[in-house]
Amino acid sequence: MTRSSKVLSTLVENKPGTLFRVIHLVRLMRLNIEGLTLGVTNGGADCRMTMTLSGDDAAVEHVARQLMKVIDILEAHTYGPEEVTARELALVKINTDKISVAEIQRNTGCRIVDSSKHSVVAEIVGSAKEIDEFVQRLGESNVLDIARTGVAALPKETTSR
Amino acid sequence: MTEKMSGARATVEALEREKVDYIFGMPGGANLPLYDALWDSKIKHILVRHEQLAAHMADAYGRVSRKAGVCSATSGPGATNLITGIATAYADSSPMVAITGQVAKAMTGRNAFQETDVIGIATPVTKYTLQPLSAAEVPFAVKEAFYLATTGRPGPVLLDLPKDVQQEEAEMTFPESVTVRAYRPNVPVDPQDIERAAAMIVKAERPILWGGGGVRIADAAQPFGALAELLMAPVITTLQGKGDFPENHPLSLGPIGMHGRAEANKLVSECDLLVAVGVRFSDRSTGNFGEFAPGAKIIHIDADPTEFNKNKAVDLSILGDANVVMGMLFDAVAKRITKSKDLNNNPWLKRVNDVREELKGIPAYKDSYADLSGPRIVKRLRDVLPPEAILTTGVGRHQMWCEIHYQVLRPRTWITSTGLGTMGFGLPAAVGAKFAAPDVPVVDFDGDGSFVMTEQALATAVEEKLPIISVILNDRSLGMVEQWQRLMYNRHYIGIKFPNTPDFVKLAEAYGAHAKTVGSLDEFAKAMREGLRMDGPTVIEVPVSPLDDVFPFLPPGKGIKDTVYGSSKEMAIF
Repeated sequence: MTRSSKVLSTLVENKPGTLFRVIHLVRLMRLNIEGLTLGVTNGGADCRMTMTLSGDDAAVEHVARQLMKVIDILEAHTYGPEEVTARELALVKINTDKISVAEIQRNTGCRIVDSSKHSVVAEIVGSAKEIDEFVQRLGESNVLDIARTGVAALPKETTSR
Repeated sequence: MTEKMSGARATVEALEREKVDYIFGMPGGANLPLYDALWDSKIKHILVRHEQLAAHMADAYGRVSRKAGVCSATSGPGATNLITGIATAYADSSPMVAITGQVAKAMTGRNAFQETDVIGIATPVTKYTLQPLSAAEVPFAVKEAFYLATTGRPGPVLLDLPKDVQQEEAEMTFPESVTVRAYRPNVPVDPQDIERAAAMIVKAERPILWGGGGVRIADAAQPFGALAELLMAPVITTLQGKGDFPENHPLSLGPIGMHGRAEANKLVSECDLLVAVGVRFSDRSTGNFGEFAPGAKIIHIDADPTEFNKNKAVDLSILGDANVVMGMLFDAVAKRITKSKDLNNNPWLKRVNDVREELKGIPAYKDSYADLSGPRIVKRLRDVLPPEAILTTGVGRHQMWCEIHYQVLRPRTWITSTGLGTMGFGLPAAVGAKFAAPDVPVVDFDGDGSFVMTEQALATAVEEKLPIISVILNDRSLGMVEQWQRLMYNRHYIGIKFPNTPDFVKLAEAYGAHAKTVGSLDEFAKAMREGLRMDGPTVIEVPVSPLDDVFPFLPPGKGIKDTVYGSSKEMAIF
């Protein structure tokens, strides 16, 4: 059994209950969802769901194949992390008592989207790894809270389906 | 042309347009508007005593008639009672439309009386679920339900109707057809696949054709059998596929599997090409996946692409309707075969006959059983029934004895729950089958354990004057489980004995059915012939020993070549 994180990318009809149908299979195969992004596309007709799943690789493949049985699913593909261009957005609330905002911006290129007396909220977009590193660099004690979106991903041109 | 009517009336109108003859079901608070709309409809309502039975009836009706069977229940417990029957239909790809009442939209999520999230419960065991939120959507939802239930790989579709949607009035449009964008049931067959398959088939020296439920569903028995005869290839089936090919045909080896025919289980390990049609490589058919047909190239033909390489990697998969694919394949193979094979000098058929001879003497085939034993009763049953008779079963030893010893001669005459293995399926299935084929004898071959799970179907059979027969092999035990406890759990018999099993004659008579206990095979045959002439249901109880084990037996998890043919002594190794 090989275990790793895989990206499950599905294109589904944009109607109520579709995520529920997808999640059923993910749960059945005992996979953990580490990230989930979704948004409407194709003029509102469809919805792109991108899941980062951890667990048995064969189980992820099984889900992708069996999803095609679900009536509302248009496409389902799995990708390894190296096969996709993946981006995630994170909002990080930072305690500014011990760290200067200017320094943070200089070091990371993040955007400050809100600032208060003792804290700021920084927005950073990048790969999951870049966000991890950003948080690490701030130092655990300076980070008050984090909200991550989970990755959105599209296959690279060189990735075969 | 539109017409103003209620959602309930539109449901019934739409069902009539789908040419629905029967609804099997039970009314309750949340589907009363629907029942009221049935008042002046041509559709006949068949009343059950428990909603699970309605689902099994609709399921069997669908398997026999090719149309979607329709069942209905109210919200809450009515809907949840349907679930086992819906799951049974899903596991065996049976076309069904299940209509549930639901609490009014405004009451949703308030834990209203008899509120259950039936869509949440049913999603994993249905092909699709639909819940129209306005009356005007109802005709489209009904059309879509029937379209999805009956096309591609069939299956049950749940239609959940909130009570206010049933009551609301709207101008109705009834569509002639619907499209579901992400659903493509009729992908054209790739001619290149056919050419590749034909080349593999012609090259093979030891081919076997393997038929499953998909052959029946696609009505592909004719081209399937024609290809077997063209190739002089032996035919095996799944348990669900019994009847794909006449089991009294010289090329028929019978079903493979946990309780398959010994010759089928043995020879499938020796073939060099397996043409699998409408099967899903169920563990109960194949045993250990890795050890199944190890020396064979496998061609898999199915209408559902998600079945390809799911359990077993195959060499070529062909997506399409089995009837179309087999017809094309027959033509392509016929073109390539320049002269007919020399039958007298065909080493594969010689090997097949040698294996048959060799296995004739195994205990399971030797008729060493008592007079009143499962195998003998099953064989006599075949003698008594005409080829077109429909046999339904429960789940257990009686079903497995049918698998091994009952020769199914025509498609759609063998109605049994294989995927889910639902005890209690037999009697309500017989009721549903009888409505689908009123001119054909219908027999439920059952065990006492299965029968008591759904015996209330007798009430419906009596009311509807259905001349069906239930044969109950009564061992006062859960015989199949007893066999496993005997052979694999050190004879720790627990939870299997029915010391206070009912007097089945009195029980049947209390419902108004005819009933008899028989003490010999001849009495059994006589009771069967009488039962076939009755104007209502008959129950025939046959007392049998709980000690007769079902063999051959492929122990769970083992490779199919390790099938045990005979006595319990051989089982000691497991």
